[in-house]
Amino acid sequence: MTEFDVVVVGAGPAGSAAALEVARAGLSVALVERGPFPGAKNVFGGVVYGRVLDELIPRWWERMPVQRWVTRRSTMVLTPTQALTVDLRAQDWGQAPYNGATAHRSELDSWLAEQAVAAGATLITSTVVTGRSATGVRTDRPDGDIAAKVVIACDGVNSFLAKEAGLFKAREHNTLGVKETLALPRAVIDERFGLTGDEGADFEIIGCTGDIPGGGFLYTNKESVGIGVVLELDGLTAAKVRPEELIAELKAHPAIAPLVRGGELVEYSAHLIPEGGYRTMPELVTDGMLIAGDAAAMCLAAGIWLEGVNFALGAGMYAGRAAAAAIAKGDTSKAGLAAYRTMLENSFVLGDHRRLRDMPGLVLSERVQRRYPGLVCDLAQGMFEVDNAQPKPGLRKLLREARRTHGVRVRDLLRDGITAMRSLS
Amino acid sequence: MLVIAALRWVDPRPGVDPLTGAVHTDPKASGPSAADECALAHALRIAGPGRCVAVTAGPPAAEGLLRDALAAGATDALRIDDAGANTAVALTAGIRTLGPPDVIVCGDHSLDHGTGATPALLAHAFGAAQALGLVELSMDGELTGLRRLDGGRRERLAIPLPAVCSVEPTGLRPPRASLPAVLAAQAAAIPVVTVDSGPSMVQAGEQKPYRPRPTHLGAPAGDAHHRVLALTGALTERTPPRVVRPASAAEAADELLDFLRKHGFLEP
Ligand SMILES: Cc1cc2nc3c(=O)[nH]c(=O)nc-3n(C[C@H](O)[C@H](O)[C@H](O)COP(=O)(O)OP(=O)(O)OC[C@H]3O[C@@H](n4cnc5c(N)ncnc54)[C@H](O)[C@@H]3O)c2cc1C
Repeated sequence: MTEFDVVVVGAGPAGSAAALEVARAGLSVALVERGPFPGAKNVFGGVVYGRVLDELIPRWWERMPVQRWVTRRSTMVLTPTQALTVDLRAQDWGQAPYNGATAHRSELDSWLAEQAVAAGATLITSTVVTGRSATGVRTDRPDGDIAAKVVIACDGVNSFLAKEAGLFKAREHNTLGVKETLALPRAVIDERFGLTGDEGADFEIIGCTGDIPGGGFLYTNKESVGIGVVLELDGLTAAKVRPEELIAELKAHPAIAPLVRGGELVEYSAHLIPEGGYRTMPELVTDGMLIAGDAAAMCLAAGIWLEGVNFALGAGMYAGRAAAAAIAKGDTSKAGLAAYRTMLENSFVLGDHRRLRDMPGLVLSERVQRRYPGLVCDLAQGMFEVDNAQPKPGLRKLLREARRTHGVRVRDLLRDGITAMRSLS
Repeated sequence: MLVIAALRWVDPRPGVDPLTGAVHTDPKASGPSAADECALAHALRIAGPGRCVAVTAGPPAAEGLLRDALAAGATDALRIDDAGANTAVALTAGIRTLGPPDVIVCGDHSLDHGTGATPALLAHAFGAAQALGLVELSMDGELTGLRRLDGGRRERLAIPLPAVCSVEPTGLRPPRASLPAVLAAQAAAIPVVTVDSGPSMVQAGEQKPYRPRPTHLGAPAGDAHHRVLALTGALTERTPPRVVRPASAAEAADELLDFLRKHGFLEP
């Protein structure tokens, strides 16, 4: 039988980071990926926050395959005829050591896996892990069992390995992310989004998914833009709408249409996102196995944030370190691997998730989704509308009217405000 | 017996710049075509326990294709690093380094606008029989192939050795490689033969963007003001642009026909 010290399942960001750390510790590690190459099957909106890479790959920004460095971060609240945008521009983010970058998954994931291979990991592609065996994992290849002291499950949302091990206790909470990549000439993107050189823009949008809880995004690449929506599955099923119709509506919105007009559709992709956050995370450690990244619902999808790659990289890195340490100590039982959870708790991975644990529920709530976008847009419109025969209405009056129009009670507004403040403070 | 699977490493969906005509290929998306995978499967089957060599002329990234062939059962592999543009010449030079081949199997034509000429050119170079566009190939004492004819008919061919056979993409694929074979293939050294097959024998003209020929126009007469007016056509009378929004395709067609009639391009 094929033997390695560690087998990592899935060569996404979590898997490659885990394999890199294990290989650096001088252990043998197999990185098993079902796609023909890392990233072949992977989808994301497009922004990767690389700060966590500082610990993994020194001066990563000089080598990582980047489309654009995000210097413009806009949060948009939409109603069918209104848009309210908080538009942040930070030129610092366009210089080393940078903040976020847009990237293509096929390039990013391949590059990350190359780092692991360069450190000594063995990448095995076009191979599906079909489950755990007494000594490691089974794959779909003839003679395909791999024996390993530790299995690190980085097999993404819907993790077969985590489910098989019965690690999910809470109901999983997945949303569907769908994305269109629209080709546009570089100069057109620069002009429409107000960018120069390698600068990029990142728009996170709420209020663009009709009756379905969710959100939207718009990111710039070098010569394309990625536009998409994230949709709660139950809502999507009930609404009987096709996701591409919602992207079409978003593209036709008066605030978005001028940005994407004339874009040629070059790719359509869809993928599940584990949006439930902290409250839906499975147990992260069991005898001989660790779970990292989307497999452990570590994607932070809390309205104005859609971050999964950085959490996956962080979790994979700690999983790799914990596995190597447990093997060195000769104890790969649940207790021997428990340092993994401690490392996550002391880092941003569980730190952020714990703090923001109420945000996914709040963001996907009926009020935030259906009532607040109209409320804030009406409030802003009321403030800036000039009705000169009349004196300007006070903010309190405007708020009262907007609350009435959108059926928002003061009690709910306060409660949601407190939840948000508590999460963010 | 020496059986060669001559495989082409190709991007099935390259990007073409509409303005310059430049072709962009993605090494990650590149690999063998369905016909080439079929060719490898046939080569492995007719070689049986004998020697089956997977050969490709391509860049270092094409070695992935050769490693897959090794994992699937090829006994060895060869990459030909060709500085020229004549695939058949490069393949011939590379294959000669392996010894005289008994059977060379190729896909019927490569995906990147291949004409299917490579197998025929190989047959000529090796003085071998050629059987092209086969849907079946088997070695049962003698080499036989099945070829599709018009009207749903088939013809069975007895093919003398040495032979070059090209196969159509049917459902046959190489066997799924075992995990130990995949790992062994990853570690295998791929021999490389460097050749220069020379510039392309087919000259298709220079690749360049479409640019209409410039026409010499004399400078207009008069002072600067009049010359600018003449050059820009600013005050010249002309039909103003008209925006129409026909409700249906039929109305749009009528609109266009009316326009062409009005301007004398169609009989009234
Ligand atoms: C539409 C959309 C937009 C997003 N936008 C962003 C964004 O802008 N920024 C951000 O940071 N995050 C974003 N995310 C989230 C992000 O993509 C994920 O959180 C991140 O990819 C998780 O990484 P991972 O390594 O855990 O899992 P994945 O990236 O899903 O990788 C899992 C890997 O495992 C492989 N695999 C699965 N099962 C098996 C098996 N049985 N055997 C072998 N291999 C297997 C898969 O092929 C895959 O390569 C977005 C997600 C979606 C869907």
